[in-house]
Amino acid sequence: MTVAQKTDQNTLVEALINIAGEQDVVTGRVAMYAYGYDATLLFGVPRAVVFPESTQEVVDIVNYCRSTGVNIVPRGAGTNESGGTIPVDNCIIMNCCRMKKILEVDLDNYVAIIEPGVVNYDIQEMLAKYGYYYPPDPASYKASTMGGNVGECSGGPKCFKYGVTRDYIYGMEFVTSDGKVRWVGGRDYCSEPFYDITRMMCGSEGTLGYMTKFAIRIEPIPAAKRTMLAFYNEPVDAAQSVADIVAAGIVPTTLEMMDNLIINTAEDATGAGLPRDAGAMLIIEVDGPAYGDLDDQVKTITEVVKKANPKQFKIATTAAEVDACWLARRVAIGSVAHRAPSYSMQDITVPRSEFPQAVAGIVQTSKDYDLDIGILAHAGDGNFHPLVLFDQRNAEQSERVHKAEAALVKLALDLGGTMSGEHGVGLLKKPLLPNEYAPVTIDAFRKIKRAFDPINRMNPTKIFDL
Amino acid sequence: MSQIVEQLKSLLGADNVITKDMTKYLRGGEQPAAVACPGTGEEVAALVKAAADAGVKVNVGGAVVDTTGLSGGIAVVMKRMNKILEIDRNNLTCWVQPGMPHKEFCDALLKEGLYFPPEPYAVSTSSVAGCIGIGDPDSKAFKYMPPRTYIIAYEMVLPTGEPMKIGSKCIKCVSGLDLIHFIAGTRATLGIFTKILVKLQPAPVCRSIVLADLPNITTAAKAFLSIQKRRLFVSRENAITNKLGQHIWSGAKGAVAFVDIEEFPKANVEYAKIVEAELKIAGATATKIISDEKEYASAELGWLKAREAVNLTDKKVRFTVGASNVVKGLDAAKGVVGALEDGEFALIEAQLGKVTVASANPEADAVKLNKAAMPLGGNVSGLLGSKLRCDEYSDQAMFDNITQLLHNIRKEFDPKGILAPGIQF
Repeated sequence: MTVAQKTDQNTLVEALINIAGEQDVVTGRVAMYAYGYDATLLFGVPRAVVFPESTQEVVDIVNYCRSTGVNIVPRGAGTNESGGTIPVDNCIIMNCCRMKKILEVDLDNYVAIIEPGVVNYDIQEMLAKYGYYYPPDPASYKASTMGGNVGECSGGPKCFKYGVTRDYIYGMEFVTSDGKVRWVGGRDYCSEPFYDITRMMCGSEGTLGYMTKFAIRIEPIPAAKRTMLAFYNEPVDAAQSVADIVAAGIVPTTLEMMDNLIINTAEDATGAGLPRDAGAMLIIEVDGPAYGDLDDQVKTITEVVKKANPKQFKIATTAAEVDACWLARRVAIGSVAHRAPSYSMQDITVPRSEFPQAVAGIVQTSKDYDLDIGILAHAGDGNFHPLVLFDQRNAEQSERVHKAEAALVKLALDLGGTMSGEHGVGLLKKPLLPNEYAPVTIDAFRKIKRAFDPINRMNPTKIFDL
Repeated sequence: MSQIVEQLKSLLGADNVITKDMTKYLRGGEQPAAVACPGTGEEVAALVKAAADAGVKVNVGGAVVDTTGLSGGIAVVMKRMNKILEIDRNNLTCWVQPGMPHKEFCDALLKEGLYFPPEPYAVSTSSVAGCIGIGDPDSKAFKYMPPRTYIIAYEMVLPTGEPMKIGSKCIKCVSGLDLIHFIAGTRATLGIFTKILVKLQPAPVCRSIVLADLPNITTAAKAFLSIQKRRLFVSRENAITNKLGQHIWSGAKGAVAFVDIEEFPKANVEYAKIVEAELKIAGATATKIISDEKEYASAELGWLKAREAVNLTDKKVRFTVGASNVVKGLDAAKGVVGALEDGEFALIEAQLGKVTVASANPEADAVKLNKAAMPLGGNVSGLLGSKLRCDEYSDQAMFDNITQLLHNIRKEFDPKGILAPGIQF
């Protein structure tokens, strides 16, 4: 059946209701509008939204869609920044939010089995009661689902020391477009069936299959941590501290940077007393065993930071002071709403040594396109989130924003980096993919896609065209 | 066949194509037409293209090549591509050629104050490309993650002869599908590495090994469980039965526990004390804490030799259980292969819940051990484990689905079936 011979809408909805139940199928106009967005400014309209509650329902929906030529766009909480969950032509949204059971937590063996609709925060909260945690914690962790986290291979502030989502998935169950179910990996690192299918699924943005269960690695919360906050005259000074801390043999849990614009929007939002004239703020956190080594590391970091002549340097000594250090970072993205009704957030990433050049390039891009651009960065990873502030209703300004986005990607690539460190490609950056990869590499992506989804039914047109 | 050999001679130079006295480069009973030793990525591309055009099979190794299925084919030995190309201290990365011996690579980096954590699969022959290509989660993987974590970019020749490049010096990248990390463990079925970029860590500030001589391997497992219950996580928490344990502690009377601690100085001292105390409580008859650099290197080399002996034999079964169930896993193994102390070896990598036992009849024993391991939170490792798991659930369809996907991937990359003929799903 071709797209031109679309299944009748009533037939489609009836079939989905038969599989998932009336309460798990949404077709109202308002809902279609709501599920047409993600965290980007892109928009599309699905034919229906379905919330399967079991693997069998997923299989039945996939089989129905295959037989009728309907495309499937997987979605969690829709917090992604890449347009990865934007509806495509003739598609349904298959939302994992109602597959939200924590099926098993095995603290002694450092593993939990969960469904994809579990919100990252919920698993963290549950584990914390027992002194355990799941290290990857993207900024969206209070809302984003584990399905979305795995689909995008989310990062977060702790990546420099602890790695990203892919490093914490032992195995998974997923359904491919042929309706077949596969469990790959296991409850440890040794159980992949030859090819590391779990790794390929991580970050595949729903283009290879629909994930229905995960075995995740969990860990005891480190015995001790120390949090420090430094304010600098210029971002380049913060970058110097980052380089010097790593050169001193210390691998911090966190090295988070904000520039002057974001410091000010955060201060507008919180009134926390941040120095408005600071050029950059750096949150530094180290963790480890509680035998006094962390105090030595703090001493080393203090010396390193002082070399860069900071305006202020604080070492948090209480939990309240730790919270105060993190407050500005936590509100940073939302706080820009005080300055502009819309923002575009990139996640360009450069080799850490190119951090100062990247900051200079972002500042130059701001001037070149006459746009306010604030900088948030996971500085240890060289991962930037330039926030371009604008008004989407202003067509001319929006056009400049798109040009600035392309310029930022070019900046990262020219510095030997990548256009996406943790947000993925989706639709937003798809046109720029050939700037990063040669045709032979993109063709290798296509080989993988064809191996998993030869009929191109799962989230088609995302990342690259088949 | 002589045509392809002549062609290779013209591409690589006659001195780099060996057709006589090939034995030292080969492992296995089949005889390739030639051993080829390319010196550049371009030569690898030309070689693979020529082989693909002629429909000749190719397999690759750092120093030694597995000849299974390679009769009349080409064994590619990467011994000439064996250099560190660039160490980037600022970004903690290193470009290295695929044939660089793994141990030599680690040692060279340590001299620079840098660290590449994955262990060699076979310390006397393994290359850096072999480490990534095999992708074995080694005994440091609990603390440092498996080898796949360390590859961040590479250049490769695809089975068609086309060169492909992916990745950068960024430690995070989700641009496109993750062919960067996926490549680990593919064992040259999808291409041949010509250049690899790995991420590094600062060298550990302080390192100690605690050795213990124990009545048997189960007592070591009990000590390790006590250590884990204290939430004390070390770099390696291994034990091996007496025969291979001699590599680590010559003269040990029983099983040898090998616990590696890489922490900052104060934690290092405290961890070593606790580990030693737990091993003594469990019944160690003798213990040693090694902090001297030379002694550390010697004990580590002993462990790596024992690991090599285990990895290179086919007469074994490797399975996992939950990390807290290693004692039960060993009990199950005794029930299947007999007294562990009497066998060639039994090895535990406790934090990973990994158990490897010598077996005269690996296929049959794997079935029994998988059945025992599953209720303990594990299974036999790798593709065989996937099959046995599916068998336990009487779910042949699941296993067929998995292997179909593996075939699909391989066929997309290597439609003519040129590379790594010994690997069969």
